[in-house]
Amino acid sequence: MLKMTHLSKVYRTEVVETYALRDFNIDVKEGEFVAVTGPSGSGKTTFLTIAGLLETFTGGEYHLDGVEVSNLNDNARSKIRNEKIGFIFQAFNLIPDLNVYDNVEVPLRYRGMKALERKQRIMDALERVGLASRAKHYPAELSGGQQQRVAIARALAGSPRLLLADEPTGNLDTQMARGVMELLEEIHREGATIVMVTHDPELATRAQRNVHVIDGQVVDLAEDPRFHQQQARAGAPA
Amino acid sequence: MLQIKPILAALKRHKAGTILIAMQIALTLAIVCNALFIIQQRVDRLSRPTGMDENNVLAIQNRWVSVDGKDTAPLIKADVQALRQTPGVQDAFATNSFPLRGGGWSTGVNLVPKNEGKSTAQTTLYFVDDHALAVYGAQLIAGRNFTADEVITADPKDIKSTAQVIVTKALADKLYPKGDALGKQLYLGGKDIPPSTIIGIVARLQVPWNGTWSDNFNDNAMLLPVQLTSNYTIYLIRAKPGQLADVVNSAPAALLKTSRMRVISGDRAVRTYEQVRGDAYKNDRGMAILMGVICVILLAITAAGIVGLTSFWVGQRRKQIGVRRALGATKRDILSYFLTENLMIGVAGVVIGVGLAIGMNLWMVSQFEMARLSIVYVVVGVVALLLLGQAAVLAPAMRAAKVPPVEATRSV
Repeated sequence: MLKMTHLSKVYRTEVVETYALRDFNIDVKEGEFVAVTGPSGSGKTTFLTIAGLLETFTGGEYHLDGVEVSNLNDNARSKIRNEKIGFIFQAFNLIPDLNVYDNVEVPLRYRGMKALERKQRIMDALERVGLASRAKHYPAELSGGQQQRVAIARALAGSPRLLLADEPTGNLDTQMARGVMELLEEIHREGATIVMVTHDPELATRAQRNVHVIDGQVVDLAEDPRFHQQQARAGAPA
Repeated sequence: MLQIKPILAALKRHKAGTILIAMQIALTLAIVCNALFIIQQRVDRLSRPTGMDENNVLAIQNRWVSVDGKDTAPLIKADVQALRQTPGVQDAFATNSFPLRGGGWSTGVNLVPKNEGKSTAQTTLYFVDDHALAVYGAQLIAGRNFTADEVITADPKDIKSTAQVIVTKALADKLYPKGDALGKQLYLGGKDIPPSTIIGIVARLQVPWNGTWSDNFNDNAMLLPVQLTSNYTIYLIRAKPGQLADVVNSAPAALLKTSRMRVISGDRAVRTYEQVRGDAYKNDRGMAILMGVICVILLAITAAGIVGLTSFWVGQRRKQIGVRRALGATKRDILSYFLTENLMIGVAGVVIGVGLAIGMNLWMVSQFEMARLSIVYVVVGVVALLLLGQAAVLAPAMRAAKVPPVEATRSV
């Protein structure tokens, strides 16, 4: 489903080159629930933005659903984002001027879907996250947990092949976070492929597989000395 | 892609900015439509023909000093003779006024004695001699010119009517709509004033005024064969082709040589017809320029307002644009979003503006005798304002389209 091989992302200024990702390799199979963890600045969010075609990469290869994406133009990338990827952001990223219904409708409109089908999909998605009764509410009228559920409904409504979640519970309290995680697990059980970036080891354990990123590279936790140093600093057993 | 519903929903949440810009567009439309209409009216007025061959004609305004008005007849006769003999002069005559002079005589004309009915038409009166048509360069389209012995000498207060008159076609058609005015009679006064016979019809000769009050009889002129004796005499002189510049100097000199008991001075004493026309339409030209400047300033302010508000909205919605891009919007979708949003505000503005434009015009019609606004100006104004809006929004909309999708992941 998602395969990156020797992928690199370099930010260049006049005087310095910064590698956000270096020789980055990952292979996510269809139906997997993968948690990508790592300390702040390790490159996990950069990985997610490249995986979601929000950014381009500098070198290597990236196959998404069998398509090599490095040579796609902006319109083709927009189409893939719209049809194959569902995003769940840490800050929810709902459009404050639109009500819940209209927010969920946004990606469907960009797909050029007919009104009747849009309506059906929106109501199905809102039913699934338990917010059908809040369709006419504006984001500001909802709790953080509810807003994230709307964001999940927006991601689900387009029936994407891949769900990308960036710290989906980062802005929520424990109870709301638990609810959102249960929802993601439920969606995964129904067959969705989910890649979740998190710095929370407890959340990561609820995924099928953990991928750890340090200094822009995927590392094997058992063998990487940087992980042991990090754990030692944190006072935790490796 | 159809985005009207979500744009409308978003605009409802930004009422203040939306209403302000829509009202600005509405006011601009109302003012620009009426201003363009006024400009067009002034331009039409500026380009009205006098009926004269203006290129070679010169007017001299002469005031006699220490001479009684009734004693001026021989002096005027000598002046006219002197002018006709001046090198470069083709012909000349003395008169009371001329087209676009700004002042003159006007009266009502009737087909029956005046005290038996209302005037049929309003006209100006030019007191002339048999040389007038040649000096005007006016086109005689029916009948004949005056003969020298038909020209009488009279004091202005003694003039009631003359046996013969020449009228313009506009006046002839007004008096006799069937086109059979030649040889017919008309009355300039009551029963005790003898009627005048129309002996000739000229194609056109404008009245001395150019204000709105004379608009409905702008080409109604009547020539009467009278040499007025008065302290104030106007000489119209036709120069030979290419010699007007010389005659401007030689004609006043010839008059002063004939007699020095006169005053020929001031800005308006010796004027070519180019100057006469320039003076007559100074206000109209000024008004047209002023209206044009107001239009340009208003349109610029409106365009700046649209650019400003859209730029502000683009900055404010940067993250939102990134989210839309992340959810699948193409650059074109974002561009189209802002263009459509502006178009919707623009349409609301012009709908209100059309009402304001018509209302403003109706008010001016009632207060300033203005003509009714043609719908063409409203349509042109609407299209211009909508296009201006789209042009103004283009740059900020293109900036919005360049917001990268990764903006969605950045914290505000």
